[in-house]
Amino acid sequence: MSTYIPRRAWQALLVIIGVSAVSFFLIQMTGDPAALMLPMDASAADVAQFRESMGFNDPLYIQYGRFLGQVLQGNFGDSIRHNQPALEMVFERLPATAELTAVALLLSVLVAVPLGVITATRQHTLADGLGSVAGLLGQSMPTFWLGIMLIMVFSVQLEALPPSGRGGLEHLLLPAITLGTYSMATTMRLLRSKMLEVLGQDYIRTAQAKGLPERVVIYRHALRNAMLPVITVIGLQVGAMLGGAVVTETIFAWPGIGRLAIQAINNRDIPLVQAVVFVAAATIVTVNLATDLLYGYYDPQIRFTE
Amino acid sequence: MEPAPTRKTAWRKGLRNLGRHRTALVGVGILMAVILMALAAPWLAPHDPRQQDLSLRLHPPGWAEGGDPSYPLGTDQMGRDILSRIIYGARVSLAVGFIAVAISGTLGVSLGLLSGYFGGRLDDIIMRVADIQLAFPFILLALAVMTVLGSGLRNIIIVLGITGWVQYGRIIRSEVLRLRSTEFIEAAHSIGNSDLAVIWRHLLPNVISSAIVIASLQVARVVVSESALTFLGLGIEPTIPSWGGMLSDGRDYINTQWWVSTFPGLALMLTVLGWNLVGDWLRDSLDPRAR
Amino acid sequence: MRKAKPASHNPTNSASGRRRRDRRHRPRGLPTVILTLLLTLTIVLTLAGCGSPAAQEDTETVVTVLQGVDATTLDPNMHAETPTGNVCINLFDSLIWRDHDMKLHPGLAVSWQALDETTWEFNLRDDVTFHNGDRFTSADVKFTIERILDEEKNSPRRANLGGIETVETPDDTTVIIRTEGPFPLLLARLADEQIVPAAYTQEHGAQYLAANPVGTGPFVFDSWTKDDRIVLTANPDYWRGAPEVDTVIFRPVPEASTRVAELRTSNADIIVNLPPHEVASLKGATKTGVSSAPSSRVIFIGLVTTNEGPLADPRVRQALNHAVNVDQIINSILQGNGNRLSTPLPDNFFGADPSLEPYEYDPDRARALLAEAGYPDGFEITFDSPNGRYMMDKEVAQAVQGHLAEVGVTAHLNVLEWGVYVNKIMARELEGMYLLGWGNATFDADGTLYSLIRTGARFSYYSNEDVDGLLDRARSTIDAAQREADYQEALAIIREEAPWIFLHQQQDLYGVSTRVDWEARSDERIWLGDVKVDESR
Repeated sequence: MSTYIPRRAWQALLVIIGVSAVSFFLIQMTGDPAALMLPMDASAADVAQFRESMGFNDPLYIQYGRFLGQVLQGNFGDSIRHNQPALEMVFERLPATAELTAVALLLSVLVAVPLGVITATRQHTLADGLGSVAGLLGQSMPTFWLGIMLIMVFSVQLEALPPSGRGGLEHLLLPAITLGTYSMATTMRLLRSKMLEVLGQDYIRTAQAKGLPERVVIYRHALRNAMLPVITVIGLQVGAMLGGAVVTETIFAWPGIGRLAIQAINNRDIPLVQAVVFVAAATIVTVNLATDLLYGYYDPQIRFTE
Repeated sequence: MEPAPTRKTAWRKGLRNLGRHRTALVGVGILMAVILMALAAPWLAPHDPRQQDLSLRLHPPGWAEGGDPSYPLGTDQMGRDILSRIIYGARVSLAVGFIAVAISGTLGVSLGLLSGYFGGRLDDIIMRVADIQLAFPFILLALAVMTVLGSGLRNIIIVLGITGWVQYGRIIRSEVLRLRSTEFIEAAHSIGNSDLAVIWRHLLPNVISSAIVIASLQVARVVVSESALTFLGLGIEPTIPSWGGMLSDGRDYINTQWWVSTFPGLALMLTVLGWNLVGDWLRDSLDPRAR
Repeated sequence: MRKAKPASHNPTNSASGRRRRDRRHRPRGLPTVILTLLLTLTIVLTLAGCGSPAAQEDTETVVTVLQGVDATTLDPNMHAETPTGNVCINLFDSLIWRDHDMKLHPGLAVSWQALDETTWEFNLRDDVTFHNGDRFTSADVKFTIERILDEEKNSPRRANLGGIETVETPDDTTVIIRTEGPFPLLLARLADEQIVPAAYTQEHGAQYLAANPVGTGPFVFDSWTKDDRIVLTANPDYWRGAPEVDTVIFRPVPEASTRVAELRTSNADIIVNLPPHEVASLKGATKTGVSSAPSSRVIFIGLVTTNEGPLADPRVRQALNHAVNVDQIINSILQGNGNRLSTPLPDNFFGADPSLEPYEYDPDRARALLAEAGYPDGFEITFDSPNGRYMMDKEVAQAVQGHLAEVGVTAHLNVLEWGVYVNKIMARELEGMYLLGWGNATFDADGTLYSLIRTGARFSYYSNEDVDGLLDRARSTIDAAQREADYQEALAIIREEAPWIFLHQQQDLYGVSTRVDWEARSDERIWLGDVKVDESR
C-alpha cells in the first residue's frame, strides 16, 4: 500500500500529459485558426503571414516541443482569438463550472440514493414504479432537451426562475437539475441493482435471521456494501459532468469552462484548447484517483491484489 | 465456491424468468416493435421520409386542428411526414445502438480481460489509457474524428464506439480480479490450460453476462449521444431520418410546433425503456448472485 | 433493547412476509443520510448565493442586449467580429459615422476631401475627450491607423486599410492620409475603424487596453465578467450629448430559444438572430416586438465552374437557377425575411442594378436547358453547407436539394461544422455546390464582387476576362459615376453567366422589447447612444 499512492500519483501525471499530447495533435488535425480568425475577404497572403507569425508553419514536433517548454514554465501561451493568457482564461471560468458541477452532483446524489434504496427494497410497488420511471426519463432525455423544456416551463410559462446566466440561487437551480439528471438516473439504477445483488447475499439473510431490524439491515449492511462501487461511479460522473456541462452551459449561458472549451474548439484556438483540456483532465484524474483510493481503502480485496 | 452457472442453464433460467417477469416482457415487446419498424419500414411508412414539400411545412398532427389525417403525426420544418421519419428513424437508432455498442463492448471486454488477467504493466497501461480517454473531452474527440474522416453515420458510430469501451473495461477487469482471488483460475491452470484457453473458455463466459447487462444500458447513452452530437453541429446528413437528429432540429419549435421534437423524443424514450427493462431482466437472470 | 426473536417465530422470506415487515418498519436511517446531504447542499448554495451581483438601483434605466457570443477583446483594432464590434462601437468612435440610412456622415472628423487621387485630408473635432480626460487629437488617429497596419501587431483588420501608405498630422485637428493608389473605399473602411487613445495605450499596453478600454464613445466601461456580462455606463460628457440610457449590459447567450425566453420574461431588451418562426408570437405579445433590417449579407449557392463537368456550362448553371423555387424558400422557411437576388448585389449597394430581374422558377425550362447541355437525365453533384452559421442555412440547403432533385440533379448534401467548412474553402477543396453568406459592410460592389467573382480571388470559382477587366477598372478610380457604370455592366454579364444560384439578401431579425425604441441597422450594429427607454410602452 505504501507504494500504491506514489505510483498512482505518478501515473496520474502521465495520464494528464497523455491527454494533453493527444489533444495537441488532434486539434492540429482539425484545421487552421488563422482562416477562422481573419475576415473572410482577407487575402491568401494575409492568412499565410498570420500563420507564420503564430508559428503554425513549423513542423508539428517543433510546435509541440515549444508547447511543452512553455507548459513547464506554467505558461500555455496566449489565446489566439482573445490575446489573453490561455490558462488565466480557464481559471477565470473554473469557479462557475465547479459551482454548477458540485450542486448538480449533490442534487443528483440527494435524489438517487433514496430512490435507489426505495426501488430496491420496495420492489414491484408504486414507489418502485415511480422511481423507475424517474430513472428512465433521466437516462433517456438528452440534456439539451431537458434544459430547453425546463426553461420553457419554469421561466417562460411560470415566470418562477430566470432563464439563463449566473447569479444567485435562483440561477443555479435549473442548470444544476439539467446537468445532474443523467447522473442521478444512472446512479439510482446502479444503486438499485447493487442493492438487489447485496440483499440477495447470504450474510444479509443471516442478519435478518438474527432478528436485526429492517433498517439496520438495509443501512448498516446492505447500503454500505452496495455504495462502494457506486462511489466509484459517482467519481466517474464528475468526468461525465464536465463533458455534459458543455451542453448545459450553452443552453443556460453559464460562464464556465464547458462553454469556453467549445468556443475554443470551434475557433481552433489551440493554446486555449490545450489549457482547457489540461485543467479538465487534471480535475478528472484527481477525482478518479481519490475515488479509487477511497474504494481501495474500504475494499480489502482490491487493495491486496494491487 | 460454486462456479457461475454455465451459459445454457443461465439462458434457460432467463427464459423461465421472462414468463414471470412482466416488465421484461414489456421491454422485449417494445424492442421487437422497434426492430419490426426498422425492418418493415418501407411497408409501414405512409410517405417517403425524405419527401420535402415546403407548402406542407409544420402542419400539426392529423387529429389536431389544422392537421391532415394523411400526416398523422404532423410534418416537420421541411414538410416531411413525421410518422414516416420516425419509422425509418428506427433504422438509424438501431444501427447506431447495435454497432456502436458492439464495438465498444468488444473493445472493452477484450481489454478488460487482458488487463485483469495479466495484471502488472499491461494492466497499468490499459487502465491509464482508459483514464486518458475518460479525461478527454468527448466533443474534441468527436470533432477531430469528424474532421479527419468526414461526417456521416459511419463516423458517428465509430466515435461512439471508441469512446464507450471504458465502462466495460473497468467492470470486466474487476470481475476478473475477483475471480482471480478465488481458486477458479488456479484450478483451470492446473488442468493444463494455457493463458489463452483460460481467458477464452473459462473467464469469458463468466464475464459475458456483465458485459451484456452493460451493453443493454449503454444503448441508451449511445442513442442519446447521437442527439447531442447533432445539437453540437456534428450530426448525420439532415435528410436522413434519425430520432436524435429530429429531436435536436426540432428544439427551436418546441413552443408552438411541439410535435416536431416530441414524437421522436417519445420514440427515443420508449426504446430506452425497452432496453433498460431487457437489461434488468438479463441482469436478474444471468447474474449468479442476484436473488 | 429488543428481545431476539426465536428462529421459529421469524417471518418467512415470503412476499407477504416481506410486505408485512415493510409496512411496519419505515427505514429510519435514510433521514440521516438525507439530512447530511441537505446540509452540504445548503452550505454550497449559500456560498454560491454570495456571488450574485449587486441589485440595480431602481431609478437607473438599463438596456440589456443579448448576443450569441461574448466579445473576445475590447480593443477595437484587434478583432474582426460583429458581436465584439457591437460592444466596441459604444465605447469608441470612428472618424466617419454611418447613420441609419447607411450613408456616411461626419463622426470624429467634421469634414474631409480628396486633395488628389491618392491624398485625403480630414478635419477633426476639437471638443472631444476620451473617458480618462485625454484630449482627442490627430495623434490618436495616426496612432490607431498605424497600429492596425503594423505587421507585427497582427491585426485581423489590417487588410481593410491596406491601401494606406502614410498618415500625417500637420496639426491637432488635421490628418492627411496618402494611399498607394486610388483607394475609393477609404471612407467606407474608415467608418469601420474606431479611434483609440494614443497616450493611454502606449503607457499601459495593448493587453491592458483590451481589458480596460478607454474611448470617446457614448458609454464608459464599467466591468466585464467573462462570458457572463459586460456593463457600460453612460458618458455624461459625450460630444453628441449624453445618452438617455444610464446602463447598458451585453450578455452572451448562445442558444436562440434561451434568448427568446429572456426577452419574453422581460430580462432582455434586444436579442439578435431571432429565428423567423418566433416573429409572429413576439409581435403578438404585448411587451415584445420585432425589428428587422435588410442585411449587408447575401446568401447564395456558389458553383465551382472552374472544374470540368456540368457546372462549367453556363446553360447548366442557368438551369439550376430556374430549378430552385427561391420565392417559396423565402416565404416558407424564412417566413418572408429575405429579399430576392438577381445578382450578387442587393439593391441598396453601390454599383447595383435594380433593373436586372431574378431567374424565374421554371422547372420545365430547367430540364430543357439541361437536356440542351447534354444532361437529359440530370447528374450528381456534391453540395456543402454550413450548419447554423446563417439564418436557417441547413433548411435552405435541404430545400434547394429537394428542388434540384425534381429536375434530375442529385445533390449529395454535406452539412459541415463551420471550422471544417472554412478549411475546405481555404484549401480550395470544394467540388460542386456550396452554400455561403457574404457580408459586406462597405455597401459597395467592390467588397463583394472582387472577392467572390474575380478570377483568382480566394472565394472565386469563376473566371471571366471581361468581368475581371471591369472590376479592376472600377477599383482603380475614385470617380463614382464611372465605377457605377462599370459595375452595372459587370453585373449584367454575371447574371447571364450565373456562376451562382442566386438566393437572397438576408433580412436580419431582432427581438426588441417595447420599452426600447431601437431600430435594426443594415450593418448589424447595435449602437445605443441615442436609444430612449419608455417604461409605459
